[in-house]
Amino acid sequence: MSHTTSSWLAEAFAVFAKEWRTEFRTRYALNTLGLFAITSLVVVSISLGPLGAATAERTTVMPVLLWVLLLFAVAAGLPRAFVHEEESRTATALRLSATPSALFTGKLLYSWTVVLALELIVTPLFVAMMHLPVANPGLLALALVLGGYGLAAGGTLVAAIIAQARSSGTLFSVLALPVLLPLLVLAIELSRAAIAGDFVPVVPRQLLLYDASVTVAGLLLFPAVWNP
Amino acid sequence: MKTLLKWLLWLWISIMIWGAFKYAPLAEGFIGDSSRILFFHVPMAWTSFIAFIAGGVWSARYLFGARDPKHDRAAASAIEVGIVFCILATASGAIWAKVMWGAYWNWDPRQVWITVAILFYAAYLALRSAVPDRDTRRRLSAAYAILGLVVAPFLFFILPRMTGFTLHPEPVINPEGKVEMERRMMHVLILGSIGFNILFFWIHNLRCRLETLFEERADSTAFHGGS
Repeated sequence: MSHTTSSWLAEAFAVFAKEWRTEFRTRYALNTLGLFAITSLVVVSISLGPLGAATAERTTVMPVLLWVLLLFAVAAGLPRAFVHEEESRTATALRLSATPSALFTGKLLYSWTVVLALELIVTPLFVAMMHLPVANPGLLALALVLGGYGLAAGGTLVAAIIAQARSSGTLFSVLALPVLLPLLVLAIELSRAAIAGDFVPVVPRQLLLYDASVTVAGLLLFPAVWNP
Repeated sequence: MKTLLKWLLWLWISIMIWGAFKYAPLAEGFIGDSSRILFFHVPMAWTSFIAFIAGGVWSARYLFGARDPKHDRAAASAIEVGIVFCILATASGAIWAKVMWGAYWNWDPRQVWITVAILFYAAYLALRSAVPDRDTRRRLSAAYAILGLVVAPFLFFILPRMTGFTLHPEPVINPEGKVEMERRMMHVLILGSIGFNILFFWIHNLRCRLETLFEERADSTAFHGGS
C-alpha cells in the first residue's frame, strides 16, 4: 500500500469528521462527559468550595481534584470511540477502508477535541465555583491543552486495546491509569504552578515529551492492535 | 545434568544466604542488622527490573516479528514471575523502611514507581484474562507491555525529580558510577544478583513449559479458547 501524505491526511480528517458527525447525532460523549464532570464538580464545590477550605489549601487541593475529575470523565466517555465500532459491527468496514495510522490519528484528534470541549465547560465553572484565584491563566490553559492531549492519546490507544476484550468498561480504568499516571502528575504540577504563580519551565517540556512519546507509541502499536 | 544444575543453584544461594548473615559486615549508619536486607532486596529489585525488560523485549519480538506463540508465552511468564519478585522487593523494602525511617510507607520516589509498575503489570494480567480469543490476547497484551516500556522512563527519571528528594540509599549503580561499598558486602551482593537471576530464569522456564501444556490441553479438550 502506498499512500501520499495528502491522501493520508484526508483519511485522518475523514475519520475525524465522521466521529463528530455521529457524535452530533446522539451527543452521547458530550452529554455524559459534561454532565458527569458537572455533577462531580457540584459535589466537590459544596464540600470544599469557598466555605469549606482556606485559599492556601485550595491552591494545592484543587488542581488535583480538577484532574481527577477530568480523568474520570474521560474514562466514562472515551472508551466508546472504539467499543462502539465493535458493538455496532462497523469495525470491519473501518478496517477495510482506512489506513490504521490515519484512523488512529483521526480518532485521537476527535478525542482531543472532546476533551478540550469538556475542559472549556468545566474549568471556568470550576474556577468560579471554587473562588480560585488563578495567577497565570495562560499557563493553566497550556496545562489543559497539553494534559488534555495526553489524556486523549493514552486513552485512545487503551480504548483500542480494550474494545476487543470482554467487560471493556471496567478494564479501561484499570489499563489506562498506570499509563496516564505520569501525565496526571505532570499536569497537576503545571496547573498548581499556574494557580500559585510559581512557574518551573521544565514541566511543560516534560509534558510535551510525554505527549510525543505516547503519540509515537500509538502510531507504532495501533496497526498491530487494530488488525487481526 | 539438569539435577546437577539445580543442586548447584541450591548451593549457590545457600552460600549467599550464609554470606549475608555471617561473612558480610554491617554497613555504617544503619540501625541494628537492617543493612543485611540489602543482599535480598537489591537482587530482587534488579531481577524484577530485568524480568519486565525481558517481558517487553519478548512482546516486541512477538508483535513485530513472526508472531511466534513461544515469544508471547515467554513474555507473559517473565512478567508474571517479575511481579512476584517486584512484590517481594517492595515488601522487604517496606520492612526496612519501618526500621530505618519509622514508617512502612512514605511515598519515597522509589515506592512511587514500584507501585505503578506493580499496578501496570497487574493490569497486563487482567487484560490477558479478559480476552477469550488466544491470538487477540497475544496481540493486545504484547502491545500493552510495549506501551509500558514507553511510559516507564517518565516514572524512573521525571517523577522522582519532581517529588524532590529521596531517603533511599544511593543505588549500587549510580549516576556517578562509583561504588561505595565494603568489599565483602559487594561479594555477597554479586553472588545474590547472579543467583536470583538464575533462579528467575529457572522459574521462568518452568512457567513457559506449564503455559505450553495448558494451551495444548485447551486445544485438545475445551470448546472455547482455541484459536
